[in-house]
Amino acid sequence: MPALLWLFSGAELRQHPWRHATALLSIALGVALAFAVQLINASALSEFSSALRSINGQADIELRAQREGFDERLYEHVAVQPQVALASPVIEIDTYALDAAGQRVPVRVLGIDAFSAAALSPALMPRPAEGASRFAVLDPEAVFLNPAARQRFGAATSLRLQAGAALQALRVDGSVGLDGAPAVVMDIAGAQAHFGWLGRVSRIDLRLVPGADRATVIAALALPPGVRAATPGESGERISNLSRAYRVNLTVLALVALFTGAFLVFSVLALSVAQRQPQLALLGVLGLSGRERLVLVLAESALLGVAGSLIGLLGGTGLAALALRWLSGDLGGGFFPGVTPSLQFSATAAAVYGSLGVAAAVAGGWLPARMAQDMAPAQALKGLGGDGAGKASPWPGPALLAAGGLLSMAPPLGGVPIAAYLAVACLLLGGIVCVPAGVALLLHLLSPRTNPLALLAVERARDQRHHATIAVAGVVASLSLAVALTVMVASFRDSVTRWLDTVLPADLYVRSAATTSAADTAFLPPGFVAQVAGVPGVQRVDALRMVSLQLDPALAAIALIARPVGDPARSLPLVGELLPARTGLPSAYISEAMQSLYRAAPGKTLALPLPGRAAGAPVLFQVRGVWRDYARQQGSVMIDLADFQRLSGDTRVNDLALWLAPGTAPGEVQQTIRQLAPEPALIDFATPGDIRAISLRIFDRSFAVTYWLQAVAVAIGLFGIAASFSAQVLARRKEFGLLAHLGLTRADVLTVVAAEGAVWTAAGALLGLQLGLAVSLVLVLVVNPQSFHWTMDVLVPWGRLALLFAAVMLAGTVTAFVAGRQAARRDIVLAVKEDW
Amino acid sequence: MALLEVQGLGKRYGETPVYADIDLQLAAGEIVAVLGESGVGKSTLLNCIAGLDSVDAGSVRIEGTLIGKLPEHEQALFRRAHLGFVFQAFHVLPHLSVAQNVALPLLLLRRPDAHRIAEVLEAVGLQAFGGRMPRTLSGGQMQRVAIARALVHRPRLVLADEPTGNLDPETADKVLEVLATQVRAAGAACVLVTHSQRAALRADRVLRLTAHGMVAADS
Repeated sequence: MPALLWLFSGAELRQHPWRHATALLSIALGVALAFAVQLINASALSEFSSALRSINGQADIELRAQREGFDERLYEHVAVQPQVALASPVIEIDTYALDAAGQRVPVRVLGIDAFSAAALSPALMPRPAEGASRFAVLDPEAVFLNPAARQRFGAATSLRLQAGAALQALRVDGSVGLDGAPAVVMDIAGAQAHFGWLGRVSRIDLRLVPGADRATVIAALALPPGVRAATPGESGERISNLSRAYRVNLTVLALVALFTGAFLVFSVLALSVAQRQPQLALLGVLGLSGRERLVLVLAESALLGVAGSLIGLLGGTGLAALALRWLSGDLGGGFFPGVTPSLQFSATAAAVYGSLGVAAAVAGGWLPARMAQDMAPAQALKGLGGDGAGKASPWPGPALLAAGGLLSMAPPLGGVPIAAYLAVACLLLGGIVCVPAGVALLLHLLSPRTNPLALLAVERARDQRHHATIAVAGVVASLSLAVALTVMVASFRDSVTRWLDTVLPADLYVRSAATTSAADTAFLPPGFVAQVAGVPGVQRVDALRMVSLQLDPALAAIALIARPVGDPARSLPLVGELLPARTGLPSAYISEAMQSLYRAAPGKTLALPLPGRAAGAPVLFQVRGVWRDYARQQGSVMIDLADFQRLSGDTRVNDLALWLAPGTAPGEVQQTIRQLAPEPALIDFATPGDIRAISLRIFDRSFAVTYWLQAVAVAIGLFGIAASFSAQVLARRKEFGLLAHLGLTRADVLTVVAAEGAVWTAAGALLGLQLGLAVSLVLVLVVNPQSFHWTMDVLVPWGRLALLFAAVMLAGTVTAFVAGRQAARRDIVLAVKEDW
Repeated sequence: MALLEVQGLGKRYGETPVYADIDLQLAAGEIVAVLGESGVGKSTLLNCIAGLDSVDAGSVRIEGTLIGKLPEHEQALFRRAHLGFVFQAFHVLPHLSVAQNVALPLLLLRRPDAHRIAEVLEAVGLQAFGGRMPRTLSGGQMQRVAIARALVHRPRLVLADEPTGNLDPETADKVLEVLATQVRAAGAACVLVTHSQRAALRADRVLRLTAHGMVAADS
């Protein structure tokens, strides 16, 4: 077989190097994209986890509470426990620092007790700069910058950090070897004093004495309500869980490229087998069995797969290295802020994705190989061979479609819509597998009797059905993918646009904290709301408070948003019914993610550990409705600001929404408000137009890859058409030669080939459109809610689909026409003298 | 007036001359066999007569029409109406039934005629084979389908290129019998290119094609 592969297949490769190179590169592209996504995500996650480990140290147990921390007196209690070898209190604060240009930069402040942290969290230990005091680590005015902060703030001797609505200028006294995003370390007492944490700590890290039982120790600690013993690495797990669906989605998108690559291999090998039918028939006559012909073609596809995979793995590694350098490992999800990971090559992942590439190529080569196996050599030698496709069972196609329908109803596995992806795969494959039957049905309906051109085309297609199948399947595969992605992106974009309309009702927004985690540190000064309300031109001011709440240690913290709700039916993008308020319970409106992640639902009560309450005394809310929140995948709850302030005693405010009097210039209002602010640099302004433009720009950037994938899919479909019609024209040389003898004109030949192209492309496009719409429903109604816990309304952009349809039709017909010009060449008459 | 009149025909491929000074006249109902060595240009001569190949010198006139002067499109239409072809390799379209293959010239002329198809199939002895697919036929049967197709539209001239080249002698005799009988019955003329002396015996005249012209076979 190797000799035959070298002699027979090598000759084919040498004869058509570009065609095979295209198939090989498509496999390489699919493998490269998938492998690069895997490497980037794995590297970013690993780096992020490593940074978290640096921060969290080497504790056996972490005592944690909600974001506002807990009473520091617990430290005195746990530190003296006999089973506790070491206890280290830590304060974690997310805030902002001003850079040299006066821009706010997110930064994490870690307050440590240097004496205990040295043993438990060595990565947090400051390194005083040359010339600094040995006791600088205990100086409440000194901060130490990690490498990311040093890079961001340069060799600054002082750093201005936001605390509430004011800035705290602290002295930079050295560095700290902490990985990850910009962070500063300082003495815990200094952090408490500067950031309003007096008497509180964020966590206490514990190291147990050797042999101590974790559960026994936790029980002995008798932790107060609201404080829990967390597992080190828990936060890494949370970010891994939160980002998993996004990472899997990206990988699946990359694998779509591999699927199209498999289809290209199919097209190339189907064309190659059609062209080599006489040679394969001769080999058959000379004694090469059907099974050996099958193996020969499969070996060809496997070789394409191996070569493509190797190139893909190399390319993917390079692509990942470049992406990590340029994009810092953030592929659009924003899950790993500030992380600048280094590439972590994985031989296992390389083996998996390389094998996927080979498997895709072999899958693509399967049908052509079966064609080679099933051909009747003697008949084929005489030019009387059938299409060699054999009698296929009619059931796999409908069975796959039915399986796709059933799988689309299955729940996610581990937060990832595995079944829904399988449903999409089943639908796509089922649709393509149904193509021969669809073509047969179409041909059954067509029975021209008097038009010779139509008769020739239809009878030819009926007899050589696999050629038509290749052309139609190419269009079906590519158009269905393109249609599915178009509908999904259009639906999502439309839903996001309408959501923005609802959540941005005001004329101007004032913001102190960009993230929920910084909302406790970066807030607007008391009395500021009233001051702003008095600004000329301001008609109404709504204040908003954001709080981060940890409801489940395994999940990312949710966002509690408190603002004047008014009439929720108008002020919130509600999904489903709005229940009436129940007497005695304050109202809460949950995001869709709360339903799927926490099983919260309208009519049920929801216990929220509001800040400022006695620990362990959560407040019960009545869930009155569900709203759509595209900004917080981890879940959010909206309550009325008055309820929040009454129940928590927390009157801090993070954002303001301003309604301006008609004719008021937002710029003038901004200027006046900046003058009112104690630190103008600490507040940001945005108009709904700005926020909408930024949001949609981010959206479009995130989905840019899907447009690219659509283009690739359509190009591959057209390649399938080109391959199919080229194969047909080659196989029909004698037929066209005969027809020239019988008096068919060149225009007749071109007409018949182009018309066939148009008919098959139209059939494929119609089938692809239907299949694409079905797949888009799974993407919109199943994959997205299961991945990101939000729903969207289906929007079918008929105009864009019509353009896509027309473009594919035109391209298919032109491709067939170009192939037909070969058939209309004058020397085609010589084909009647060809033996093969 | 001769049905086919070839005068001073010359053909070359680039610098390589194929033949020159070919003269040939055929009357209606006449069958002429053209013998010649391989590569002498027998098939090319048929293509030139049919307007399927260009000529470098001379002219071809069929029933007074100068083929070489017709535009390509008109040549195709002329072939469609007035010529019939029989090939060595049959060239029966495998995806059409026997009747559909035979009907093809009539369909091209937009003159579907089931009666004529049945008639010509009966004439070649395939009256029971109309619905059969070519892959179920023997070589001799397929060549008879090709002859039926060549004659179904009552062409004035039949060009047969080695029609028995792929057949055993006994089958070849039967096929030639059918061809000659039907050509004569239709009042058509036939140029029969062949290597076979035995086949040539069926013709009214036997000529030999050489590089320098057409000569009588016994000269």
